[in-house]
Amino acid sequence: MSVLHIDAQVVDNREVIKDHRVITCLAPDLAELARPGHFVNVLASEAASSILRKPFSIYHADPHTGLVAMLYQVKGPTTVGMAHKRAGDRIDLVGPLGGNVFEPDPRPGVHHVMVGGGYGVPPLVFLSKVLGQAAQTPQITFIVGARSKDRLLCQDELAEMGVNVRPSTEDGSHGVKGRVTDVLSEILADDVAVYCCGPDAMMRAVGAMCIASGVDCQVSLEAPMPCGIGVCMGCVVDTTDGIRVRACCEGPVFDARKVVWK
Amino acid sequence: MTHLSVKIGTLDLRNPVMTASGTFGFGVEMASIIDLNRLGAVVVKSTSREMRLGNPTPRITETPSGLLNAIGLQNGGIDNYISEKAPFLRHFNVPIIVNLVGYSVDDYVYLAQRITAAGAADALEINISCPNVKHGCDFSVDPLLTFELIDALRKATPLPLITKLSPNVTSILPIARAAIEAGTDGLALINTLLGTAIDARKRRFKLANVTGGLSGPAIKPVALRMVWQAHQAFPDIPIVGMGGITNGIDAVEFLLAGATAVAVGTATFVNPAASLGVLDGLEAYMDEYGIDDVRELIGAVKAIDD
Ligand SMILES: Cc1cc2nc3c(=O)[nH]c(=O)nc-3n(C[C@H](O)[C@H](O)[C@H](O)COP(=O)(O)OP(=O)(O)OC[C@H]3O[C@@H](n4cnc5c(N)ncnc54)[C@H](O)[C@@H]3O)c2cc1C
Ligand SMILES: Cc1cc2nc3c(=O)[nH]c(=O)nc-3n(C[C@H](O)[C@H](O)[C@H](O)COP(=O)(O)O)c2cc1C
Repeated sequence: MSVLHIDAQVVDNREVIKDHRVITCLAPDLAELARPGHFVNVLASEAASSILRKPFSIYHADPHTGLVAMLYQVKGPTTVGMAHKRAGDRIDLVGPLGGNVFEPDPRPGVHHVMVGGGYGVPPLVFLSKVLGQAAQTPQITFIVGARSKDRLLCQDELAEMGVNVRPSTEDGSHGVKGRVTDVLSEILADDVAVYCCGPDAMMRAVGAMCIASGVDCQVSLEAPMPCGIGVCMGCVVDTTDGIRVRACCEGPVFDARKVVWK
Repeated sequence: MTHLSVKIGTLDLRNPVMTASGTFGFGVEMASIIDLNRLGAVVVKSTSREMRLGNPTPRITETPSGLLNAIGLQNGGIDNYISEKAPFLRHFNVPIIVNLVGYSVDDYVYLAQRITAAGAADALEINISCPNVKHGCDFSVDPLLTFELIDALRKATPLPLITKLSPNVTSILPIARAAIEAGTDGLALINTLLGTAIDARKRRFKLANVTGGLSGPAIKPVALRMVWQAHQAFPDIPIVGMGGITNGIDAVEFLLAGATAVAVGTATFVNPAASLGVLDGLEAYMDEYGIDDVRELIGAVKAIDD
């Protein structure tokens, strides 16, 4: 694994929905190496009391332009610091991190189904983009869930990409009224491969549904990752093999069958 | 030519900057990020007799200027260390210090003998605080147990012994004295400070283990004080100082307080090359102030009115 410590230049930073922003920076080496499921550990807190880096999934990485983007929810010291960045500012990144990233199902004609919620959506957008570059355009369905219409992420972008977008909102303000699993249950079939990232409860429910149907499901797990490089043992996940592995190195993406949920 | 090398017992360090146990893994991941050969020594994660899974999660939480961890000494056990980790580390030209942890004197002696026989370390760091032990055998708060342990280890191995003290005691001096009388070659201080964190919104503890060990800049003043106290009481015993060291100036402060060497822990999470940054900063300080030999700094702090 080749881990870079980068002082990248911010080229853009804008709000996409309430409290969610996309920061784009110039980091050609990172753009070259990044794969869907990789993340970066960002040092951006302006508060001296918050010293740690925080992990963010890579949302876009373009080796041609050298641009890398992250989509983040503004909630604490790091993300507030990120929100303050302007074009021309610098941002301190360590990455690409993650020893196991999304692995596209190689079966010919497979139907790729993304299931994302909140800031779990961006790595799946990246994955859809990469899958879409294949010579034979695969069938991709993107189930995205939120509380309400104004909280749905990446809608326009997904529509432009030509993937089959299936929104679900809990209040029914857009798409199916209910949860992502309500949509997924209609789609699950033998030729489906599921890739999921979102809140724990969502990944757990999606994973369970896929396991019950015998469908492969990859989940990208979230855990506090003080180091992100595998040395602190803080981010471990219990697996069905009876061991505790590091989400930063043996993950963040896991086969849903392997995860012991808390 | 600045002179950076220091000695802990028979262990020669090319410079006084090492890594803190548990913050550098077993060097495998770090080796692709920094040049291990520039370090004074690599101190690896605590190693126990059997493989340990550690505590349930969440076992880490950020706190003001630091972090609270309750990893619970997760490691692959001594067999795994000797067969997989040590051979990798031996490719480098840097002293390896293995941090040992056990439940009993027997455990520690066994570990020391295995490491010694395998040539799998250049020195041993003895982690005597085992806060998660149910039956309450905690060497770090008991001078008699500390003496018994270090005495047994002294007889079991010729490797230099560095006894790592817990700060969670009324005074570290009786424990330090016991380790010294039993023949330790050096002291390492401090380990993490016991604390907890509560989420007011959820009305729950933030750690599954409830309590954890505090590290990072938040603990630096406490660590400096303890290093200084130990150095005052035992000026001849080498001390490895640690607790919140982030840059060269922090390291200088620990040396002035009486440390012979320093270890960089939590700072490595923030900047993977922090240990080398500390070394560069120390050299820059020595250049700036015309210090030729790093040993001139050890214990050289003066009172305000001196
Ligand atoms: C592999 C991985 C990938 C990730 N990818 C992304 C990503 O792409 N985008 C993204 O945004 N995040 C992502 N995260 C999550 C992100 O790393 C954390 O949210 C991070 O902690 C944010 O850092 P912070 O310093 O801004 O806030 P922190 O201080 O770390 O967290 C916010 C703190 O504020 C408090 N808080 C939170 N919510 C509330 C509330 N509603 N009311 C009151 N207090 C609250 C809590 O105490 C919480 O601890 C990812 C995590 C992992 C492990
Ligand atoms: C995540 C983490 C794991 C640690 N694991 C160990 C360990 O296994 N054995 C040990 O003796 N000390 C362990 N420590 C303590 C450090 O070695 C060091 O004593 C302490 O963190 C203070 O230094 P720092 O502030 O530079 O981190 C650990 C510290 C942290 C933060």
